[in-house]
Order: sequence, then structure tokens, then C-alpha cells
Amino acid sequence: MRPLAFAWISLVRQPARAALGILGIAAVGALLFDMLLLSRGLVVSFGELLDEVGFDVRVSAVESMPRTGPRVTDATATAAGLTALPEVAAAVPVQIGSAELDDPAMPEVSLVGSADASESPWQVLEGPGLQAGRSDGRVQVLVNRNMARRLALTPGSRIGLRGTCEADSAPPRVEVEVAGIADFYFDDASQLTAAMRLEAFRRTCGIEGDDTADLILVAADPDLGPTAAVEAIERARPDLHAFSNEQLIARFQQVEFSYFRQISAVLATITLFFGFLLITVLLTVSVNQRLGEIAALRALGLTRRRVVTDVVLESAFLVGLGGALALPLGLGLAFWLDTILRAMPGIPANLHFFVFEPRALVLHAGLLAATALAAALYPARLVARLPISATLRNEGAT
Amino acid sequence: MAASIGLATALASLDGPLVRAQIPDTSLPALLVSRQLAEAESLAVGDTVRISANPDGSEPRTFRVAGVYEPVADPMRFTAQRHEARLHLPDLLELTADPEDPLSRESVTSINVALADPADAERVSRELSAKVPGLIVRPAVRSGDAANVFVVIERFHQAIALVTVIASAVFLLALMVMLADERRGVVGTLRLIGLTRNRVILQVFTEGLLIAVAGAGFGVLFATATEGAFNRFFQWRYDTALVFVRITPRVALQALAIAVPLGLLASVAASWTLLRREVLTLVRR
Repeated sequence: MRPLAFAWISLVRQPARAALGILGIAAVGALLFDMLLLSRGLVVSFGELLDEVGFDVRVSAVESMPRTGPRVTDATATAAGLTALPEVAAAVPVQIGSAELDDPAMPEVSLVGSADASESPWQVLEGPGLQAGRSDGRVQVLVNRNMARRLALTPGSRIGLRGTCEADSAPPRVEVEVAGIADFYFDDASQLTAAMRLEAFRRTCGIEGDDTADLILVAADPDLGPTAAVEAIERARPDLHAFSNEQLIARFQQVEFSYFRQISAVLATITLFFGFLLITVLLTVSVNQRLGEIAALRALGLTRRRVVTDVVLESAFLVGLGGALALPLGLGLAFWLDTILRAMPGIPANLHFFVFEPRALVLHAGLLAATALAAALYPARLVARLPISATLRNEGAT
Repeated sequence: MAASIGLATALASLDGPLVRAQIPDTSLPALLVSRQLAEAESLAVGDTVRISANPDGSEPRTFRVAGVYEPVADPMRFTAQRHEARLHLPDLLELTADPEDPLSRESVTSINVALADPADAERVSRELSAKVPGLIVRPAVRSGDAANVFVVIERFHQAIALVTVIASAVFLLALMVMLADERRGVVGTLRLIGLTRNRVILQVFTEGLLIAVAGAGFGVLFATATEGAFNRFFQWRYDTALVFVRITPRVALQALAIAVPLGLLASVAASWTLLRREVLTLVRR
């Protein structure tokens, strides 16, 4: 009989035990798979979001997050200076603030002002979008889907906004016209967002004449790339801080997202140990119960290598079947856990904690294979060192 | 402006350019620096530092380091570098006030209020919000809020715990099935010498109880023993005094309440198939 068939028969001879072993590995494997998805999920998802926005470099006056320190001064001239660099294709000053709606029961609206409506960090879904130089001087806004739904807004609707961008400023109410509904990449699930041109933003916030920006979004020259753009900006304006998307991701990976990476590393280690323990116990008990049978097979001529192979293959069957079952289980579990974590306030609706990557699949298979091998070591040693005649004698006596 | 005020006392915190000076002077205004900032800038009590609210470091003022403090552990900011300094409020206003705006010397970002009865926080917040339009009043502690980040994290950990319990239950059942199978002959013999099925079940139940209590107790002890190591690792990693793991009596009881019945159930379920069989089939070889 071939080793594979022999190992399979050895395994299914105790169907309840085999089924429980496979189920145990499946549960452990599902958790391991999820921890692998979690370990890089935020980073991958954050990178995808940054790429979707369409700008390669972010420039601000502070090294930390925008709005945590001073703003970029002389924003118009600064953006023009950056655009003049050969490594830069476009530079768009952006300001971020907040506004109140007429209805005090409604939550605060996040306000975004962008100098260039044609290259902006949003995607227009409905309506014509922001138009430059309206003859009637009316302020136009783009609203996100949440705001459109909650206020029943469509392109052409009018609403009142009162800017609350500065603590020491109380600007008058401004009536604005909805120019479209847009998708803002970093909005959280319940956020209300409105975007307008920079001059309209300043008017709404009561900071007309304040030529500052929270950040300048830069599109690098496609031939030279974002790294060259960052270097050129740092040379031209050493007082500013420029970060490419890759640098931002690396930074967030080191600091902001490291908690989930470390939690996933701890849990992955525990689940692997748990799986190792489960398989070792199952195989050891199985081998101990079959010592007489194994000794008889050895006496009939089966080599030591052959019986060791049987144990290793049995372990491989347990882990292989359990691991395969773990994948759909793990994906379902990841969806559930992702839904739980995405309820966290301030998390962009498009950001995911658990993201599938082919490398996670390869790593999952590799780790389980290593666990299967390690778990088979002790029972394999038992059968390899089995004294044939003494075992047969003992078994015969009992 | 890089300053923020956030304390109930007449102290304020400031994040901004900080330059170490060489000549200590006790007549200078005092400030406190966070332990992290003191370590990063090699500051000690008695040093003098110059602080500016401007990003280019212009118009600095000189202060004397009067002490080093451990920032209050803030779970919302545990990944942030706590490079902070605390100034007396008049010193901060002097440093950050806009000369063209007389009101800026009378303005603060927030006022922390200690209530006689903390349970009134929600009611007082609602009343103040209604009485002073434009003022944002929030309770400092919001419990049970579904959108609270810690409620979400707790739910996530509970979900992970549930999966772990399921995996453990399967593992336990597999172990108990093997154990029961090993003892098939012993159970058969006990039945043959006259022990009733109920008597054997009682024995299995007692054994299961002992194993479950011992296992669960060991688990709680192991978690308590490793709690310190876990906390020390994350406190070192994030340079914070925050406590990440705390095994409270409630947590220990919760673990026992889940693990012991689960262990009992597994041992009884595994033995049940054995006890249902005829005695002779149990002892037959």
C-alpha cells in the first residue's frame, strides 16, 4: 500500500478524533489567517486610499498631521513655486475646517477648501462639480453622499453654512449651492463633508485675506517620480515638510498602525503554538494506541523511514484539510472582525483592517506546513525508536 | 499656533520649538517637561530652555525647568510621542497671544470643570449647551457609547476571545474523546464489577470537574504571571505608562465561568458515547 493511502486509512480509522482534529486546526488556522490579514491590512488599505486620491506628495508646515501645528504661509506663492519645479506636475493648496448647518441638531460639517477644482482630492459622482469664476458670485459646494442623503440634497439645492474653522472667529451664515455629490476618500462612515474652492472656503470661515494652507497636495512629474519630487521640494523649501505616499505609509506603519501589527503577531504566535500542541497530542495518542500494530508492521518488513513517513503524512493530512477549511472560515471571520473595527470613530469608510493579499495565503500555508512538521517530530521519534520485539512481547502479554 | 490648553489647573501644555540654554536662573518662569521630552532633549531640573510659539523659533522666551512629569497615560494617544511642556497659564498666554488682538490674552481653548457629583456630567453638559450657544460642552467620560473607540476595541477582543474559546472547545473535546477511548477497558471493568452507569458518570463528572478547575486555574495564574511582561513590552514599545493588560477578579471569574463548564461538558460528552455501549463491547478486545 502506498504511504499516502496508508496514512489516510490510519487517520480515518478514528473518524470522530480525525474530524475534531481537523475542526480544531480549521479554527486555529482561521484565526492565524486573519492575523496575517490584519498584520498588513491597514497599511495596504491606507496605501490604496492614498493612491486613489491621485497625489504623490503631501507638503505641510508641520512634521506631524496637518492641523496639529502651524499652516503653510503664502500658500498661493508657495504652490506656484512648487509647480515651477521640474519634478512637480501640479501643486494644490488645501485648507480644512468645519461648519455648522442651520439645523442645530445636525452634526458639524467637515469643510474642505481646494485651490484647484480640476485636480482635487475627491471624485465627483453626480452634478457638474465646482466651476471657476461664477458670474453671480454664489458659493458652490460639493457634498458627500452622507450629507446629500441626510439633508435630501441634489445638485442645485441650497443650504446655509456657518464656518467654525477658527476659535476666535464667528463669520456670518453663507448660503451655498450644491454643485454636485462627491466621494471623499478619507471620510468616515457617518461624516458630513462639504468641499468648495479655497476663496469660498475662506469666505465661509471668515478668514478672507488669510493666504494659508493646511497642506499642499503635489502630483509628481510621472517621468521623475515622487521621490525626486520630495527631494526637490526639500531643497527648494527646507522650512516645509514633504512626504511621498510611501514615506507616509512607512511612518504610519511604524507608529499609528503598529498596535494592530503587534497584536496580530502575538495572536498569530499563540494560535501557531496552539495548533502545534493540538496536532502533537493527537498524533502522539494515535501512535501510542497503535504501538503494537506499528511494531508488527516493522516486523513484517516496513522500514523505519516508512513508518515515520506515515506519521508525518498523517500530520500533513490533518493540517492540510484543516488549513483548507480555515480559508473560507477565516475570510468570513475577517469580514466580521473588520465590520467591528470599522465602527471605530474617525476611521475612513474606505479603510479596511483586514485586507487579502496573496502573500498572506503563502505565509499561511508555509506556517501551517512548518507547524505540521514540528508537531510530527515527537510522535515520529517514538515510532522511529520503537523496539520491535519488546513491543510485540508486551502487546502480546496484555 | 502650536499651543493647546488642556488642564483643569492653571497649567497649560505647549508643543513647539524648544532650545536648551546654558545659564540657569531661578528668577525665570518655571515649566514642567514630560519625561519623554526630557529624555529626548537631555533636560534636567534646573536647566533653562527657550520656547517659541512660532515655527521658525522667533520671539522665544526663556524658562527654567522646574520638574519632569510622566504624562497621564492616554489610550487615544499611546502611539504619539509625548514631547510636551506645561506652563503656568499666564506664561502661555504671554507667549502665544496675538499682539493685535487684545482678546487673545483672555481666551483659552477649553475649561475643564470638576462637578460635585460626576454622575451629573451628561445633564450639566446638556444644560450648558442649551444656555450658551456656540460653546461646545462634553462630558469627559462617555461610557457605553457604541462609537467609542474603546467600546469597539473591547468588542474586537471579545470576538477574538469567542473564536479562541471555540478552538479550545474543539481541542478539549478531541482530548477528552481520546482519554475516554483510552479508558474503555477500565470503564467496562467497573461496570462488570457492579458499578452503575450513574456511578460511572458521577466519577467522570468529578474527574472532568477537577481537570477543568485545574486547567482554568492554571490559565488564570499563567495570565496573571505574564501580565507584567506583556505590559512592560508594550510600555517599552510605546514609551508610555499605559496599562495594556489587567487581570481583574472580574476577568478571572469570567474566564473560570467559561472554562470550567466547557471542560465539564467536554468530558461528559466524550464519555457519554462510551457509557451508552453494552458492557461486553467495552471489555471485548
